[in-house]
Amino acid sequence: MAEPILTVDRVTKIAGGRTLVREASFAAFPGEVVALVGPNGAGKSTLIRMAVGAMPPTRGTVAVDGYEWRKHRKEFARRIGYMPDDYRFGGRLSARETLAFWANLRGVPRERVDEALSEVGLAEAARTPAAAFSKGMRQRLLFAQAMLARPPLLVLDEPTNGLDPLWQAEFVRLVRGLTREGHTVVFSTHQPEVAEALADRVVLVNRGEVREEASAAEALRAFFRPLAEGLKAMS
Amino acid sequence: MRSAAHVAARELRLGFRNPWAYSFMALFCLFSLSLLLMPADRLQEGYSAAAGSLLNLMLYLLPLMTLLIGSFSLASEKEEGSWDLLATYPMGTFAFLAGKMAGLAAVLITVVAFGFGLTGVLGALAGKAPDAGVLGMFFAFAAGLILLFLAAAAVIGTLAESRWQALTVSVAVWFFLIIAWPTLLIAGLGLLPHPWIKPALAALTAVNPAELVRLFVVVKLGGGSVFGPEYYAWMNWIRGAGGTAGFLAVCLVWIAAALMFSHVMWERRRTHG
Repeated sequence: MAEPILTVDRVTKIAGGRTLVREASFAAFPGEVVALVGPNGAGKSTLIRMAVGAMPPTRGTVAVDGYEWRKHRKEFARRIGYMPDDYRFGGRLSARETLAFWANLRGVPRERVDEALSEVGLAEAARTPAAAFSKGMRQRLLFAQAMLARPPLLVLDEPTNGLDPLWQAEFVRLVRGLTREGHTVVFSTHQPEVAEALADRVVLVNRGEVREEASAAEALRAFFRPLAEGLKAMS
Repeated sequence: MRSAAHVAARELRLGFRNPWAYSFMALFCLFSLSLLLMPADRLQEGYSAAAGSLLNLMLYLLPLMTLLIGSFSLASEKEEGSWDLLATYPMGTFAFLAGKMAGLAAVLITVVAFGFGLTGVLGALAGKAPDAGVLGMFFAFAAGLILLFLAAAAVIGTLAESRWQALTVSVAVWFFLIIAWPTLLIAGLGLLPHPWIKPALAALTAVNPAELVRLFVVVKLGGGSVFGPEYYAWMNWIRGAGGTAGFLAVCLVWIAAALMFSHVMWERRRTHG
């Protein structure tokens, strides 16, 4: 079996005396789509932020392509494209200027900026201030940002939040295209249908712990069985 | 360095599109144009009561604007989630901080340069152009205040979790260093044994960037006597051969210390959470 591109090994996050994530481990392999699924407040975003180096774990290690975050921060960062969930666009920069800034920091050529804007359907809104975008458009701009340098690993936090059904379908198509090119995608979601449509493997997260790793269909059946039974009983 | 240049370029863009910058520019132009209302001979003779009151006006405005704009800019990076994203980029923390501060300094210094430039041009057209040396000293005073208070703003923006916190702390720091300082200085020095007063005064003057720059500019304009005999050693030192170099060195130490502290705190947050 190939070496994993992302290894999250027994990471724990304690903040303000609370354990947000406890001894969580999972891995992602080249070309794979892994979904972190769990209810709100399960610890998915904390786990994702630790996986990309936006938040240091209290204990445990994270490595991308063998580069550990604490020891090789720049090598680690060069291999990741991260889409955050709670980003607010301030200031008066247009979508193109915002994306160009991120492209410059990654040494990506300017032509790629317009290409990425087109890929997420924002070419016509390129001159609009990003702060004036709707939630869905902001999500698409952040997704374009993550894809800019075409890194081997994309880590996306709730990428389909705020997207209309048309763009959810488009997102699925874009991610499938990326995996065909060999990119690995790890994303979090609380929408089972998105995980089922996209993921090769599902990592169930609940109360800060990784509960189970399984194929998408198996894991989702196990995870949502109590909900389905509850609904059945109610009807 | 390239990352710092990109961050600075973004800061310049954001700065010149921020309505605050233009409100500040309008207010500053009003202040600097008041130079033209002074009798021409007063501006030729260097330091005068009129020049002193203009310096005081700048002393109120520039530190407050610099503290607010600088600390807001850093606090908003955290509040908007921008730093969380940038922390996943192959960019060092110091490049980020240096780029932010360089961009903000360029915006603020451009604003004051525009104000003094406008004064020079309008003065020349009206046939009462201010003395270039005096105008230059005013500009040096303004630029010095901006750079030193921007360093203080970096510390405030680093420690503040939100823009509200940055606003509150900036106003408190401005009030302490500009408004309350003389009263607190007199009260504090009065409590010390007599032999300690002079060294304490020297040390406290170097600690307050506003006092440091004001002292230097007033002495350079020839008005050092207004400070009284306690500052005699300072006057000799500033007027001496290495005075300007020494002053610049103290300013650099001040800025470097503030930036290093900010860097350590950002890095600590990045690696320890």
